[in-house]
This record gives sequence, C-alpha cells and structure tokens, in this order.
Amino acid sequence: MTRSIRPFRGLAPLLFALLAALFLSGCATSGATYADLQAKLPPPPPGDGRIFIYRSTVAGAAVQPSVKLNDAVIGSAVPRGFFYLDRPAGDYTISTETEVKRSLSLTLAPGQVRYVRIGIAFGFFVGHVYPELVEDAEAQSDIAGCHLTGS
Amino acid sequence: MRGLALVLLIMSGCAFDVSYVTRVPTTFEPAAPNGPNWVLQQPQSIGVGSGFPTRLRQGTHWQRAGTIPQGDVFRTGDQIVTVEASNTFEAMVVLRDNTLVGFYLPVEHSFVAATEPVKLPIQQGAQP
Repeated sequence: MTRSIRPFRGLAPLLFALLAALFLSGCATSGATYADLQAKLPPPPPGDGRIFIYRSTVAGAAVQPSVKLNDAVIGSAVPRGFFYLDRPAGDYTISTETEVKRSLSLTLAPGQVRYVRIGIAFGFFVGHVYPELVEDAEAQSDIAGCHLTGS
Repeated sequence: MRGLALVLLIMSGCAFDVSYVTRVPTTFEPAAPNGPNWVLQQPQSIGVGSGFPTRLRQGTHWQRAGTIPQGDVFRTGDQIVTVEASNTFEAMVVLRDNTLVGFYLPVEHSFVAATEPVKLPIQQGAQP
C-alpha cells in the first residue's frame, strides 16, 4: 500500500489565516467614508482646485505604493481608501510605481474637482498600479464607501 | 539555471512600457472665448497606435480652445478625453476641416497624431 505524502497539508489553515490577515490589514477600515464627509468638506481655497485620489477595490491589497504628484509623495494607494488635496490651478502629473512607473497627466482649473482612481493590473513580479481619470458621476458612486486615509 | 537567471535579468531591466504614443512638441495659441463650437452626432473611436483607442461620445458639445500648427484644438466638459498607452494623458481633440487629425496634450504641450484621420459627423454652431 502506498501512502500519499502531503507535506504541506497541515499548513493550509495557517496559510489561509495569514492571507486573510494580510488582506484585511491592507484595507482602510477606519476613518470616515467619502459619503459621510462629502457634504462637510469646505470648498477649495480661491484659485485652487481639488483632486480626490482613491482606490475602490481590495484586489492586490498587499501592494500599496506611494502616490506622487509632480514627483512629490502625497499619500499611499490604500485599498478602499481615499485622500484629497487642494492645489493651485495648473498642470499636474500623478504617478505610482511598483515594478514599473505609471503616470497620468491632467489639468486643474480653479474650483474644479478631479477624481483619480488607482487601479491594479497583473505584473511580472508585482501588480502594476496605475492612476486613471474618472468622470465625476462614476467616481462619486465608486468612492462613496472608501475611507479617508489622510490628505 | 543560467537561462532562468538571464530571463530574470532581462525582465528586471524591462520597463514594461510596451505601449506608447509618439508625441510631437507643439505650440498652442489660445482662442478667444465663445469661439466656434459643435456637437458630435455619432460616437467615434480614434486610435493613436497604442492599442487603446480614445472614444468620443455622441451628443458631446465641443468648444474651440485654441490652435496648434496641426489644426484647431477643441475641448469638451461633457466627457473626459485621454490618450492612453502605458501612461495616460489628458487630451483635447485637434480638427482640420472637420477631420480629427489627432490630440493635443495640454500638460505635455505635445501633439499625438491619429492613426487614421477621421471625418467627424458634427453639427456646427450647436448651443450647449
């Protein structure tokens, strides 16, 4: 009689628990949601516009790269999280980087609100994280349940 | 093993920028407000050679924002317009004789030519 050897059998529950912990720790589970805050946020200062940056899914939760505005770090791409910043009207480039750098260039007018979603795609070693400009109506629905992670 | 190491070495040096667009620096001259405008009568899809076409929606209103040597530059507030490759660029459309010849990238001050110019079905002078 042959007996099958499954050396990793006992590790499955542990592996599952580790993955679950990793998954949950990566989510922005605290902080007010966009839906809670939306009406309470003051308008941007005169001459400024506002950029919301959010990540609406938990896919690839372990990958949370920095988000840069014109090469300066402004926050992290936290799953189910968002942050915003007010900046003078002008031209901006938002970028993220894992094994590759992905960027989005956009214009910002005085009083304008822009929504930038951080998406994730398959990569070679690590997922590729990329910023994309989203229409206001779609973004407001998308971001509603995301939690403020700082600005 | 050596082969695997070589593959990994090559891949690690690869920028993964497999999709790109050719940008030509250009000079933008802004137009006076309330210039020519039009409405797009049918949806259009315009390629720029990146594999990610730019889609323009039916019914969108476009206002002339200025000119570049390649044509007249129009913008809309009815949809987001981007040119997409490995990176994404906000864009405005560039028309010459009602034919979309490419896109103007206001942040990069560059022109990206359409793979094939497209005669747009437009209604001139429509009020937004």
